Amino acid sequence: MDNYIVKAKHISKSFSGVMALDDVSFNLKSGEVLALLGENGAGKSTLMKILSGVYTRDEGELEIFGKQVGNITPKKAQELGIAIIHQELNMCAHLTVMENIFLGREIQNAGVLSNHEMTKQTQKILDQLGIDISPDTIVGTLSVSKQQMVEVAKAISTNAKILIMDEPTSALTSREIDELFTIIRKLKNDGCGIVYISHRLEELKHIVDRVTILRDGKYITSLDFKETSLPEIISYMVGREIKEKFPRVECKRGKKILEVKNLNAGPMVRDINLDLYEGEIVGIAGLVGAGRTETTRAIFGVDQKQSGEIILDGKPITINKPMDAIRAGIVLAPEDRRKDGLCIRLSIRENLTLPNLDRIINKFGVVNKNKEKKLVEEAIDNFQIKLASMEANADSLSGGNQQKLVVSKWLARKSRVVIFDEPTRGIDVAVKVEIYNLMNHLKQQGIGVLFVSSELPEILGISDRIIVMCEGRITGELNVKEASQDKILEYATRFETKKEAVGL
Amino acid sequence: MDNKDNFIKRIVKTRGMGQVITVAFGLIPLCIVFGILNPIFFSGQNIGNLLRQIAPILIIGIGQSYVLITGNIDLSIGSVVGMSCMISATLMTKGVNPLTAIIITLITCLTIGIINGTLVSICKLPPFIATLGTMTIARGIAQIVNNNYNTDSIGEGARGFRDFFYYGKTIGLYNTVWIAIAIWVVFNFILSKTRTGRHIYAIGSNIEASKLSGVNISATTTKAYLVSSFCSCTVGLIICATSGMGTMDAGNSYEMYAVAASVIGGVSTLGGQGILLGTIIGASIWGVLQNGLQFAGAPVAIRNIVIGIIVVVSVLLDVVIRTGTFRFRKLSKP
Ligand SMILES: Nc1ncnc2c1ncn2[C@@H]1O[C@H](COP(=O)(O)OP(=O)(O)OP(=O)(O)O)[C@@H](O)[C@H]1O
Ligand SMILES: [Mg+2]
Repeated sequence: MDNYIVKAKHISKSFSGVMALDDVSFNLKSGEVLALLGENGAGKSTLMKILSGVYTRDEGELEIFGKQVGNITPKKAQELGIAIIHQELNMCAHLTVMENIFLGREIQNAGVLSNHEMTKQTQKILDQLGIDISPDTIVGTLSVSKQQMVEVAKAISTNAKILIMDEPTSALTSREIDELFTIIRKLKNDGCGIVYISHRLEELKHIVDRVTILRDGKYITSLDFKETSLPEIISYMVGREIKEKFPRVECKRGKKILEVKNLNAGPMVRDINLDLYEGEIVGIAGLVGAGRTETTRAIFGVDQKQSGEIILDGKPITINKPMDAIRAGIVLAPEDRRKDGLCIRLSIRENLTLPNLDRIINKFGVVNKNKEKKLVEEAIDNFQIKLASMEANADSLSGGNQQKLVVSKWLARKSRVVIFDEPTRGIDVAVKVEIYNLMNHLKQQGIGVLFVSSELPEILGISDRIIVMCEGRITGELNVKEASQDKILEYATRFETKKEAVGL
Repeated sequence: MDNKDNFIKRIVKTRGMGQVITVAFGLIPLCIVFGILNPIFFSGQNIGNLLRQIAPILIIGIGQSYVLITGNIDLSIGSVVGMSCMISATLMTKGVNPLTAIIITLITCLTIGIINGTLVSICKLPPFIATLGTMTIARGIAQIVNNNYNTDSIGEGARGFRDFFYYGKTIGLYNTVWIAIAIWVVFNFILSKTRTGRHIYAIGSNIEASKLSGVNISATTTKAYLVSSFCSCTVGLIICATSGMGTMDAGNSYEMYAVAASVIGGVSTLGGQGILLGTIIGASIWGVLQNGLQFAGAPVAIRNIVIGIIVVVSVLLDVVIRTGTFRFRKLSKP
């Protein structure tokens, strides 16, 4: 007798003719953490959405707790004991934490909601997870990482025996990740089966027992984690070996391109001074919430500045709105791809050409179809965006491919400074390397590259100079030769101690 | 003392209460101004009339609020009011007893609600278009039932009907006002204390998240539209009782009054936000303006313009307040 709680056999699923899953099988045992791995668009999320009732499969059999199941809906999946944390946040912004956690399975008493009981249970779960928020906080006012923890709490509160986590850590801080791992280990001991999806391969070693690898919608292999290695996993994922995870090119530092002086914009951007030279990549490190995104937004003119000067190629420029920045040659690939980076209901073509329209229109403002097609094809080709057609909605792309789209739409344009905010979040290993190559390529062309990242290995591997932020201030600057994870962390945690204020 | 503090804090913290308190502070000076302009404004008789004027707007406001909170809109309200008025009046002039007439009217109106809900949630039509369609259909039905004429008087047999909906008084208040209060109490309870209510907020806030949490989207949407058509039906009956006959243009542009009452009271047209206490204040501001301006001798046209301006300004204020002090962080995970 095996103790498989999920057996999926020969599952296939296609979206308007494109095979997302082709004859995929996988099993999950109770009490194990199974990592489901694969490149962007490999079909991981699709497979899990089939298991949790969001999509219906075209073909294949599904056996849960030894019983054959037919088509399932999200509700039925809940009843079967399956809970899922989706790759994208799914919260009702206007409702409270408690209301979100119990959404769809509210506790009632004679037809009336038992808010008291639900609040109590919510508090218990939050305590258990070490999340320091009150059950009646409105979810929309929480930071992304806190919202993500609420998602975790929601999934766990269902007491599911099968738990699916689709990139749960991509928006979490390191402390929260530690907490999440503790919880995962505990759930494992309680006999839960957990499917864990992540592109941060380094974190697998903390929790994973087994891996199943997909590529291009096909099942590749399943391995015991102990008996394999990351390079082997990567080669299965990508179908070839990746020699260098962080390719580095050396360039001579040229003249100063960008200078930011005494920039102030709200509480998260305080007195920022930074320089950017030709031929270098500057990484901005810091904990989540250190004001890095806010700084890039202020430079780009999205948020109002209180004071500060921006000097580009020796000339002071005024940036009051993004258009000013774009005209001057500064572009930003933002952090939140679905909200700030893409028009998700427009086609891939329209998204790509939106910031480049001025280059493909004639003098009457009419779009030249041929030029447009050429531009889009080049961009798709450069980044190997995996898509059904360029007329498909940006929404239909897998998470990582959406990220590629955000980056590529800016790079079709000639610029002086390119700012990347978390460019590799949710992106698979192979594409990460492509994006690094791209940054290197920009650097070689004498374009200034500024990039924000929460992944220290990447910051250390790619940048020439590292700026560390904490609480809206720059607390340190390091040359990559002298930098180390510890040094960065030390600067990143230089909080203005609260004691001083109290001791007054 | 401590307990009382907590109680007050809890009330202030209730969802949407801040907005309601803000507009409530708008209502008070408005009343004072009209009171000074015209001392009769505060007379017992005028207050009675004022409340009776507010009641129907409150009722349709409740219906519209339900639909707005789900993130949709109901443009068929005015026509359903007209249809309800014409159907009930026609039946009563034909000698049908009032209770039977009410039941038939109610069934017809609720059918429109079901159609609205189905078109929006199952056929996925944009609510603006779907209810624009049913708005035209319902107005057509209102015209067809009595061959394009207003009806005759509904007659002596309907005395009780007219008293029940309009002329009668119970414990010092007009019955119309009592009906509005009853409807408010019931629907406020459902919205704030039951699962259906919670789901109405949830789908208005994030329909995708609600679907993934197992919320039945089409049932919830349809319920909201049903509430709306029920409220419109009631108001149609009130208008029929008021004039004692069916008029074909009854309820004209009531859907806009309903939007005004909701939005002034802090119900967001984007869904997920607002409470019915706000709708009371919204409807009151509407009523006080109508009544006060009428007393001040302002013609209908001016009253329309003023109300239009108030709606736009209150939405604008709403946006400013929300983006100024209460900005939502990004919602999607990057
Ligand atoms: N709703 C949809 N409509 C059309 N195509 C879709 C839809 N959802 C997914 N796809 C396609 O199915 C394929 C698999 O996507 P899926 O989201 O499962 O990938 P993934 O492995 O989760 O990738 P990532 O790591 O980037 O999240 C992709 O090519 C994607 O474009
Ligand atoms: Mg995915």
